[in-house]
Amino acid sequence: MEIRVKCRCGEDECSEWAIVELQGVVETQASFEGSIQNLEIGRLCHTESSQETYTFTVGYHELIGSKVTLKKPLLVLKKLQLDEDSGKGTELEVVGIIRTKILFKTRPKPLISGNNLSLSLFCS
Amino acid sequence: MRIGYGSRRLRKPFTLWRRRKKKRSFPRRLFCPGYSTVHETYRLANLDFTYSNLVIGIRRYASEIDGECFPITAPDGGERVYAKFCRALGDEEVKKLDVKAKSNGLIKDPISVLLQLSEKEAFNKALQTSSEDQNETTSAETSVMHEKLWVEKYSPCSFTELLSDEQTNREVLLWLKQWDASVFGSEIRSTTEEVLSALKRHSTPSHHKKSDSSFTRKKQFNRWSKESYGHSKNADVSNSNTTDDIDLWNKKSKLTGPPEQKILLLCGAPGLGKTTLAHIAAKHCGYRVVEINASDERSASAIETRILDVVQMNSVTADSRPKCLVIDEIDGALGDGKGAVDVILKMVLAERKHATGKENIENGKTSSKKERRTAPLSRPIICICNDLYAPALRPLRQIAKVHIFVQPTVSRVVNRLKYICNMEGMKARSFALTALADFTECDIRSCLNTLQFLNKRKETLNVIDIGSQVVGRKDMSKSLFDIWKEIFTTRKMKRERSTDASGSEAKNFDFLHTLISSRGDYDLIFDGIHENILQLHYHDPVMDKTISCLDSLGTSDLLHRYILRTQHMPLYVYFPSLVIPIHRRVAQIQKPIIEWPKSFHRCRTLLVEKQESLRSWHHKIPPYIGRHLSIKSFVEDSVSPLLHILSPPTLRPVASHLLSDRQKDQLAGLVMLMCSYSLTYKNVKSDPVLSNLREAAASDASLLALDPHLFDFISFKGHQFKHHVLALAMKQVLVHEVEKQKILQASGGSFGILNKPEIKKINQDLARKTNAASNESQRNPVTSKPPLVSVGIATTSKPNSSDVKKASRTALNFFDRFRKSRKDYEDPEDVQKRATAKRDSRPLLFKFNEGFTNAVKRPVRMREFLL
Repeated sequence: MEIRVKCRCGEDECSEWAIVELQGVVETQASFEGSIQNLEIGRLCHTESSQETYTFTVGYHELIGSKVTLKKPLLVLKKLQLDEDSGKGTELEVVGIIRTKILFKTRPKPLISGNNLSLSLFCS
Repeated sequence: MRIGYGSRRLRKPFTLWRRRKKKRSFPRRLFCPGYSTVHETYRLANLDFTYSNLVIGIRRYASEIDGECFPITAPDGGERVYAKFCRALGDEEVKKLDVKAKSNGLIKDPISVLLQLSEKEAFNKALQTSSEDQNETTSAETSVMHEKLWVEKYSPCSFTELLSDEQTNREVLLWLKQWDASVFGSEIRSTTEEVLSALKRHSTPSHHKKSDSSFTRKKQFNRWSKESYGHSKNADVSNSNTTDDIDLWNKKSKLTGPPEQKILLLCGAPGLGKTTLAHIAAKHCGYRVVEINASDERSASAIETRILDVVQMNSVTADSRPKCLVIDEIDGALGDGKGAVDVILKMVLAERKHATGKENIENGKTSSKKERRTAPLSRPIICICNDLYAPALRPLRQIAKVHIFVQPTVSRVVNRLKYICNMEGMKARSFALTALADFTECDIRSCLNTLQFLNKRKETLNVIDIGSQVVGRKDMSKSLFDIWKEIFTTRKMKRERSTDASGSEAKNFDFLHTLISSRGDYDLIFDGIHENILQLHYHDPVMDKTISCLDSLGTSDLLHRYILRTQHMPLYVYFPSLVIPIHRRVAQIQKPIIEWPKSFHRCRTLLVEKQESLRSWHHKIPPYIGRHLSIKSFVEDSVSPLLHILSPPTLRPVASHLLSDRQKDQLAGLVMLMCSYSLTYKNVKSDPVLSNLREAAASDASLLALDPHLFDFISFKGHQFKHHVLALAMKQVLVHEVEKQKILQASGGSFGILNKPEIKKINQDLARKTNAASNESQRNPVTSKPPLVSVGIATTSKPNSSDVKKASRTALNFFDRFRKSRKDYEDPEDVQKRATAKRDSRPLLFKFNEGFTNAVKRPVRMREFLL
């Protein structure tokens, strides 16, 4: 079977993607059930230090991860349905290439937000 | 060299000799009759004497020589020559040689003679010096040696001569006689005809049973029959008894076995004749006495072998009487003597065990086999001690038959003393002798020793001051019990009183003073007085005696304290004199029952224990409460009120939903209170004191008591406290609630989340109720509190508002104070709520999957992507 892979951009300019791999699940709160569009998942920060670390804040958890190069790079394809030309059913379009992933494999660090809370806890 | 033939031959043995001499050993083969002569001739030759006259006689063959000859063999060649023996000439030459030898520096006399001489000389010298030195002493010694001690000389040699108490004598003898059946194998009592006939039927000559206990009495019998118990009939019985049937024998041994208590313990003051009695009685009953004295080795192993030796062995010598062990002064050496006691105990206990086992086993043979293994006590043992209450003897006292020697009557002692004095030709008036006996407390040994001593010095017994005269006494300090007894009893001073009363007083004073000061343990003596003085029945209608006695005790306490504080040990001298007024006030004729002072120690340990428990509890109370609560004031003031608060009578043990609001409040208040004072109920084993106090709860196996047992602090002997005691179910509810409350407090931050609605509700209710506290107290007049309560609590608690202060409902009062602190907890709860709200505002949360990943790797065909 012949698969045609179409790449619009040139070989060098192919957009680079990255995978965020989490040890866990990102869940929605019960109150936001059904309306996940346009919700901020979290904040991914990249620190330029000796070794590249990435912090990812989801909810009240902070994850710390690192960049890992994949052994085999992956392609991100987009399936195009070509109904008009019945001869050729589907066509795959390269969207991007994935060479690295950001791996968060450690236990998340809970964040205690707000000064007043920590202070009151101290009081009690 | 007239004979060339012979000369050549001669040289050989001659060289041989020289060589041998160097080696200093002679060839064996040269040993022959007349060897010494040969020897001499050789020496002769060696010294260049003319040996021709001797040498002439040497021939090749013995036949060539006429007269005496002897063979000489050369070792190297094995050649043999024969020499003619010429005695006269040889001797002459020897003499000559001797002279010559002397001139050469050799010793004339043989070494043995010299040795003998020197020995003799040394002996003579030694003899001379010793005789010079000890001329006088030896003569003195011999004169002393002639005279035996009177104590030994006049010691009783038969049972009837014994001086000690008749009753005791008889009992000891009876005890010894009880052994007869097991030791001699036959009882002295006549056997019934029935048994005899049975024996005759069963007796078989082949069945020769020889048990340990069936000691052949046959041999002994003739002698004994002469002495005291001559039943000629018994001889037959004993004979047949040795060849007894086992079953029958067992039956009989059960009837007439050794006495129940296998050990006799004689105790009493020195010189009363305990040892004498033991010896005489044992001899009387046909035993050979083996005495283990204080001077013998008394370690456990040594004593065990000795006892086994006595108990199991029969000597093969002429004196084949069974042995009786007498252990004298068993209390003397504590460390080693204890070993003896232990061994005896072990043997007796083994015997007991065996006896119990024996009943189960019906077969006689097995029992006899067992007997051999456990080494039972099959011979009488008599132990003698001075102090019955020595700690080493405590175990022995329980298993032994104890005889306490009492003083023989003075008249008996005096009679005996008089008799002895007559025999010795010493004149002594009976009055003086009585005084002496009295002084020595009928210690006949010291009496006799004193008399002998006086007799020796040609003095007469002086009546006036026997004490000043030399009275040898066995060194011994009285036991504490004796001292207390002396303090609490008046001594019988009839004679002195008749002469002059003041003298007796002084004497009494001196006596007590020396008694107590020789003992020394003033502390303990006073403790004993304190313990026992109030139990005495002295006539004291207005209590002035008691007061003065206690005054003396107080003085002694003060003195003791002062001495200990300032270390002025010389002040101890004044202690004995403090006892004397007590004695004067309290002493009576009848003997008191004296107890060892224990109460002081008991109280002390109890105090320490309680203080410790209180202190640990005090540390557990949170500091904001604990700092207002000193232990002293707590014990003195506020325990009782606190207990009232802790057990309100209005609480009913019902399910929580059945409680009215007010009761719920009350419960919550109580729980809070217990929590903040870190009190709880705890399972305790039902101990007797508690069960007495709470008869209702006594039946329950598991009792719930307050954890620091506060009831202890108000319970006094004979005092019933009036506190309401909560029902067990109520206590269980409280335990549960307190635990819950503690957990809540511990997890302070998560108060709001974990808080159960009912508690919350209670809290709210309580908050509301505090305002209406005064109202409530009016509505609830039943719970009356003593006025002390509010005062006591006021010192410990800090009431938050003046209007609540007047409320007599102290439970609420406490709670109010607690509520005030609760307000602090309100704040974190709010914050917590805000925090949760904030958390809820976040749309997405991360849920960490620990330990595994949900990713599944599986092969996917490309086709699936395309479709």
